[in-house]
Amino acid sequence: MTTPHPAATRGPATAPGPGVPAELPARRRAPLGRLLRAEVRWIFRRPRTLAVLALLAALPVITGVAVDLTLDGGGAPVDTGPPGAGPGASDGGPPIFVTMAASAFVLPLGSLMTLLMLLLPLTVAMASGDALAGEQSHGTLRGWLLAPVSRGRLLLVKAAGVLVVALVASGLVVTSGMVTGLVLTGTDGLVSMSGTELSMADVLGRLGLAVAWATLYLMAVGAVALAISAFTEHPMVVVVSVLGGLIVSVVLMQISALDWLHPFLLPSSLTSLVDLIRDPVSFDGLAEGAFRAGCYLVIGMSLAYARITTKAG
Amino acid sequence: MGPRTKALVAAGSGITVGLAGLALSSLPAGADDDPELPAVGAEELVASTLAARAPAFAGVAELQNELGLPAVPGGEALDFETVRVFHDGEESARVQVERQASELTFVKNADEAWAYDSQERTATALTWDEDDKAAARGHAEAEMADPSQAAAEMIEQLRPTSDISVDGTASVAGRAAYELVLTPKPSEKTLLREITVAIDEETRVPLRFDVFANGTSDPVLSLGFVELELGAQDADLFEFTPPDGATVETTEADDAVRALEDAEDAGDVGQRATTVGTGWDTVVIGEAPAGGSGEGSGADAGARGQDLDGILQQIGTPVTGEFGSGTYVRTAVGGAVVTEDGRIAAGAVPRQVLVDALDADDADRQ
Repeated sequence: MTTPHPAATRGPATAPGPGVPAELPARRRAPLGRLLRAEVRWIFRRPRTLAVLALLAALPVITGVAVDLTLDGGGAPVDTGPPGAGPGASDGGPPIFVTMAASAFVLPLGSLMTLLMLLLPLTVAMASGDALAGEQSHGTLRGWLLAPVSRGRLLLVKAAGVLVVALVASGLVVTSGMVTGLVLTGTDGLVSMSGTELSMADVLGRLGLAVAWATLYLMAVGAVALAISAFTEHPMVVVVSVLGGLIVSVVLMQISALDWLHPFLLPSSLTSLVDLIRDPVSFDGLAEGAFRAGCYLVIGMSLAYARITTKAG
Repeated sequence: MGPRTKALVAAGSGITVGLAGLALSSLPAGADDDPELPAVGAEELVASTLAARAPAFAGVAELQNELGLPAVPGGEALDFETVRVFHDGEESARVQVERQASELTFVKNADEAWAYDSQERTATALTWDEDDKAAARGHAEAEMADPSQAAAEMIEQLRPTSDISVDGTASVAGRAAYELVLTPKPSEKTLLREITVAIDEETRVPLRFDVFANGTSDPVLSLGFVELELGAQDADLFEFTPPDGATVETTEADDAVRALEDAEDAGDVGQRATTVGTGWDTVVIGEAPAGGSGEGSGADAGARGQDLDGILQQIGTPVTGEFGSGTYVRTAVGGAVVTEDGRIAAGAVPRQVLVDALDADDADRQ
């Protein structure tokens, strides 16, 4: 990325040039809406954002077709894992997609759950890394810091940009999965895991809920990523530490001796997305996950705020 | 307040609030003090429990399983963590056994009972005519992983061979409960120490049971409600229509009664099971699960059978008796003998009792 940030060059018309003391009274506050539009336009102009979004849209299609072919070829539900691997293993073995053949809307939710493990957090971490650290390393953050935009509003705009990425990414996965599911199995088979048939409106409501939940989860990741992003000027550090943190969390979750720690780990909420396929839906797990994500969000945003307000212009 | 102080305050309070929230969500629910309840006699408590009718409620129960069952095919029967239970206070019930990526749903109403397995996509219906009504209903109920039913059943089965006492109170799912303790009589040859059942003070519905083995302080098996709400339930919950694309099997109560009974007693041991002994030292003898959970082609089943033999040789010790020879496998609460002619004898009993039971079974057959 060699082009300077739009906000820095043609952003607020009143942006003082480099060298003008930052403590000049803001003559005109740059409208938040315009800053946000510029930020979002900038995010979606990056080829890497588009590439990862394309990948996110393609994966549910690939999964759906692959599962469909497997089930058609085998004629029977997928085998329940290697024999003798024990009860635990057989649970981890057959993915949620096995139910897909019966129900079109398992594919979008299953894809969302799988991708929320790594690829969606990666997308968000990438956006967060670019938002502060990336611009810092290209010197374009300086324009922002000098512009008549308060630091709090700057963080707000950056967080909103990440939010848009999170929403678009999870919405894309679910939409792509749902369309693939409908094409492969038709509209008749909207069956919940409890064996009840669901109406299309019900399914869309559940999927909407899933997207909202996933966006909140990703924003929790994004807030932590923004905090790291504010402390470094290497976007790579942001992506690596977020993914590293997630991988460590998943490893810790496998250790049952540490089960007191599990409620503190963000990825332990992920399995509750399955509850949306059950009928009636039990919201306990989802609510707990949303609360946990909210806690991470508060921690991440407050750290990012603390860092960005003390950053030297 | 300078920017630096403001930043410190923001960071400090944000982290505090966030961590406090996380800590709050990690607190185990229902860690209340034991409630104070009027004293009740053990016999009185048992009688009122067995006579009690479950009120209309919706509950969530959790299973903790430290049985240490060896990793053999068919061991999935107890492989779940959460059960959701709905009762309408009359004859209908809905039990949803939630596994990580699949679900077993049992729906029972006045006329029929359904079992739906989302992983296999099979729906099994059990219907009955007027004559078998009582028996069939009982068995449809027994199939359910509902703590209130399972515990009541357990009390009824073990009552004649147990010393029963009331040991204080407990708070389960936010409700005040008595702790009923069933201890095997000295004549019972079992490896279990005791079973405690928490019984709701108000409704006399069992809320939780814990199974303790000799030499352990933590329960080896615990099934109990973590949430329970009394109140009328939606009638739709107790109706079931098999979804399109599912394999539907229908069984008449006459045929099903025996199979259900056996399957219930034996866990997943086999279809045709017999029991030897009563009470705590009951030994269940069934056929070894050659084909895992029963599905799959012949070749597949054969491969699994070989695997099973391999596993048994690794984890078991050879045992011989009048019945022939086999392999003995010990678990946290008991053991099992898998014989070379494909039978399994299992129970919460020492090894010799299993061997004796197999000998007795042989004698019966001849």
